[in-house]
Amino acid sequence: MTAKTTDRDRDWAAALAAANAGDARAYARFLHAVMPVLRGVIRARGRSFGPDQQEDILQEVLLAIHAKRHTWDPAAPVAPWLYAIARYKVVDAFRRRGAAVHLPIEDFAEGLAAPEADPTAARDSAALIGQLDPRSAEIVRAVSLAGESTAEVGARMEMSEGAVRVALHRAIQRMARFAKGERG
Amino acid sequence: MRTEDLIAELAASGPAAPALTPRGTGLRMLAAVALAAGLFLMLAGTRADLAARLAEPLILTKTLLPAMLAAIALPLGLRMMRPGARIGRAALWFALPASLAVLLWAATFARTAPAVRFADVTAFALSECVGLIIAIAALPMVFALRLMRAGAATRPRLAGALTGLGIAGLAATGYSLFCTQDNPLFYLTWYGAAIAAVSAAAAALGARWLAF
Repeated sequence: MTAKTTDRDRDWAAALAAANAGDARAYARFLHAVMPVLRGVIRARGRSFGPDQQEDILQEVLLAIHAKRHTWDPAAPVAPWLYAIARYKVVDAFRRRGAAVHLPIEDFAEGLAAPEADPTAARDSAALIGQLDPRSAEIVRAVSLAGESTAEVGARMEMSEGAVRVALHRAIQRMARFAKGERG
Repeated sequence: MRTEDLIAELAASGPAAPALTPRGTGLRMLAAVALAAGLFLMLAGTRADLAARLAEPLILTKTLLPAMLAAIALPLGLRMMRPGARIGRAALWFALPASLAVLLWAATFARTAPAVRFADVTAFALSECVGLIIAIAALPMVFALRLMRAGAATRPRLAGALTGLGIAGLAATGYSLFCTQDNPLFYLTWYGAAIAAVSAAAAALGARWLAF
């Protein structure tokens, strides 16, 4: 550890210790201090994700830190604890999004470039979306294929952003089940 | 939701859960398995002439080996409750009970006449030994994993497996005071199988319950 990171860790430790003792302002200070570091980690590891999705992942990491802030050992440095939670949640988030949201787009791209290569690829994602109810299908097309943000889709469809996210998540889970040959 | 707003909301959301105390958690796990094993011994009774039998090294080994395994596994499982915890070299401690078990098994195999080696393996003996160890361990194992949800294991499957290993080792320690199978070929194999089964179940449950 360099002198600079030691100083930084001392600041984080003081803020987090105060936060866990009930100091809300110290807690806000701690979260603000670690946010840019976490954002950097997520950006470096998740280049294939758009800024909106990276911000969603950041929020998931912050929520996990919040829920598990009592597991930090005050006798130990903060950084390894923080990075372990961040890495765990980032991997988790990438696994869910990487498999579910991004494969259909790639399938489309391949299908357009080489229609004969794999006749099932492009048809599959279109067919999977086609099996959804119209509203879910519109959300998946808008967010996953057209790249609109959940906020934009929510405004257009008169749904809250959270409701759009939940609907998207469920639709993708249903598509994954369709792809495995089950009925949703 | 904007990240700034989220932070403001989190900061205003009240106190954190009580600080994690692996030692206290471990004591509660010990109490749970002691209760289960004690209850079993109270109902089933210890074997006759227990004290005299425990003076024989091969019989004492039946009690001490699973206890040693638990003494290694349980603290490591508790350590895994913190994010980013590693086992590292501490895993080498497992070589001690493992090599003792392998050596004892091989030596007994070599010294015993072929007809006698597995003569005590009957369907009843197996289901009694394996079944009762699993039965003693099951509830304490579930209880221990529920306690571990207060932590944040970033390797939930491993954390579950280690805790299962520790709880099952203690259950086998308790069971050994009742068990009259003194052939090391029998108890090493079937205690081992029961402990492995509990640990595997705890690993699978850990992957589900301890993920966060």
